[in-house]
Amino acid sequence: MSDAATDHADHGHPVHPTGIMRWLTTTNHKDIGTMYLWFALIMLFSAGTMALLIRAELFHPGLQLMRPDFFNQLTTMHGLIMIFGAIMPAFTGFANWQIPLMLGAPDMAFPRMNNWSFWLLPVAGVMLLGSFWLPGGAVAGGWTMYPPLFIQGGVSYDLTILAIHIMGLSSIMGSINIITTILNMRAPGLTLMKMPLFCWTWLITAYLLIATMPVLAGAVTMLLTDRNFGTHFFNAAGGGDPVMFQHIFWFFGHPEVYILILPAFGIVSQIIPTFARKPLFGYASMVYATASIAILSFIVWAHHMFAVGLPVAAQLFFMFSTMLIAVPTGVKVFNWVATMWKGSLTFETPMLFAIAFVCLFTIGGFSGLVLAMAPVDIQLQDTYYVVAHFHYVLVSGALFAIFAGIYFWLPKWTGHMYNETLGKIHFWFSVVGMNIVFFPMHFLGLAGMPRRIPDYALQFTQFNQIASVGAYIFGFSQLIFVAVVLKAIRGGAKAPDRVWEGAEGLEWTVPSPAPYHTFETAPVVK
Amino acid sequence: MDQTNKEDREGVSEGAFVFQSRPNRSLTQSQHRLAFWSLAGSCCATAGGFALLGYWPVLPFAGLEAGLLAWSFAALRRQDGNYETLTIDGDKVVLEWCTGTHRERREMNRRWVCVVCDCGTPGRNCRLSLRSHGRETRIGQYLSDEARLHLAATLRKKLRA
Repeated sequence: MSDAATDHADHGHPVHPTGIMRWLTTTNHKDIGTMYLWFALIMLFSAGTMALLIRAELFHPGLQLMRPDFFNQLTTMHGLIMIFGAIMPAFTGFANWQIPLMLGAPDMAFPRMNNWSFWLLPVAGVMLLGSFWLPGGAVAGGWTMYPPLFIQGGVSYDLTILAIHIMGLSSIMGSINIITTILNMRAPGLTLMKMPLFCWTWLITAYLLIATMPVLAGAVTMLLTDRNFGTHFFNAAGGGDPVMFQHIFWFFGHPEVYILILPAFGIVSQIIPTFARKPLFGYASMVYATASIAILSFIVWAHHMFAVGLPVAAQLFFMFSTMLIAVPTGVKVFNWVATMWKGSLTFETPMLFAIAFVCLFTIGGFSGLVLAMAPVDIQLQDTYYVVAHFHYVLVSGALFAIFAGIYFWLPKWTGHMYNETLGKIHFWFSVVGMNIVFFPMHFLGLAGMPRRIPDYALQFTQFNQIASVGAYIFGFSQLIFVAVVLKAIRGGAKAPDRVWEGAEGLEWTVPSPAPYHTFETAPVVK
Repeated sequence: MDQTNKEDREGVSEGAFVFQSRPNRSLTQSQHRLAFWSLAGSCCATAGGFALLGYWPVLPFAGLEAGLLAWSFAALRRQDGNYETLTIDGDKVVLEWCTGTHRERREMNRRWVCVVCDCGTPGRNCRLSLRSHGRETRIGQYLSDEARLHLAATLRKKLRA
């Protein structure tokens, strides 16, 4: 290059800040994705530690380690932090890293807004965790924040409402970024129906977030005004209706379940074809099934409330509409199995987690169908059967998909292959540990053990002890995962551009590790 | 990227060479409107339903969200106006580029303009510039490497003609 002065609308990028300022001010989608993933990991371990304390208390009947109120704080915060602090940010981390790479876009549509939507999260996380040290401790009324308990609590309840507002704002900004990126920044030739399924599932998830977040914000604001400003939206003492809170909350809450699982479907739909060395079976039907699940998620909310005394017609409607969700979900499971059918399968760690996802998520889906039946649900409401059901969906569903995705894309992110042996050890400890924790909970629930109670009748002891042992196996095996990730960041075998033999898509055309700036000019997709 | 390669254009004389490129945008204007209204409409309709039942505090949050959506989509529209134009008209070579509200223009004498194309690593970010009087101006920021190479060849031919 000559020493001539160069000008122009800068594609020459400015010098990047280093150290802490790099991370505080970054607008690069890869940096922000990385920060989301680390934040999610820290929150996973925080809420996981709470789960281990819960299981330690439940190892024996009677009160062993803590006051009942502290036990309730742990169960509440475990749920809130896992959902809003670990699973959702982890998927957003994947979205940040992968969506621009998969679409051939240089970055997200609004990089600065992307930076803000991340940095709001640690603020909310600190508020939630810090509330343990406030007078009266953290919130203890359950993650669903039902009144009247939530109207009566101490100052931490107000702080939690503020934290939820902040996390909601972060989610809305993240969703707008994802929607605009996917709709407006696809490479020439990359039509919607050629787009990787991960992008499709995130597009639909972002629509769900946009539609439901104002409902959650309104609901918690009404709790706040009931608590502090003398309104009576949900306060029965003033003529309010506490059951209406449940309607409003679950109008948000059920789509939220799909917000937590649809990106997992997307990740698994990328991994299975890669290791089966076949294109995804029924791509179009996968897209339509995802959209159907999202639409149906708005008309099933009251299946969480069969026990409140709904009219029979409403019970029937919500029962059948809930069962209807099994149809598009079944289409997805069928398509994953059909993709593997007669494929040249290999079983690297991402594929192992993806197969475990398909099998165990299906168990969670079936127990969901059991709970969809109103007469059965009235028996099982608030028992450990419900706990078993949603942990099969969220641990072996969402969390296993996150593990699968990290093993799948880690070589692209770090430029190094991870240790396959350690990855497989992590997989087997996780899958065995997870089943030991949560499978006995089905029996505990069927036998009538209530959730959110630190003590239990003697006949539940053995299953509880098995579950607690499983929890410690599962919990400590996650340290192997951290070791694998750190090892891959520090070094290891050099990863090629196309890390996996069967991998297809634009993200595999860039070098490993992916350069700081990619696709500054859009590739053309044939 | 969208490119137009017109031999005649308003404001320039007959037979002038005009090359315009824009950033890659996959959303048409009608899709743009559809996307915005489907998002804003669904969240406002939901909030309206709850407001009718007396739970009006959902409404302002839906309004704020719709406002944020409107700002975002408007910002996208503004970005859609970005362009880069190169005109060779008689003895003049004119470069114009627009990023958001920022517009710039550089005029050069055709006889002093030299095309610089640096493709050190094949397939990885070719750099195309026009050099004149010791100043180099990068062009083709919205183009792929192949399109930059093609443009470089065309420019060399046009400048020699």
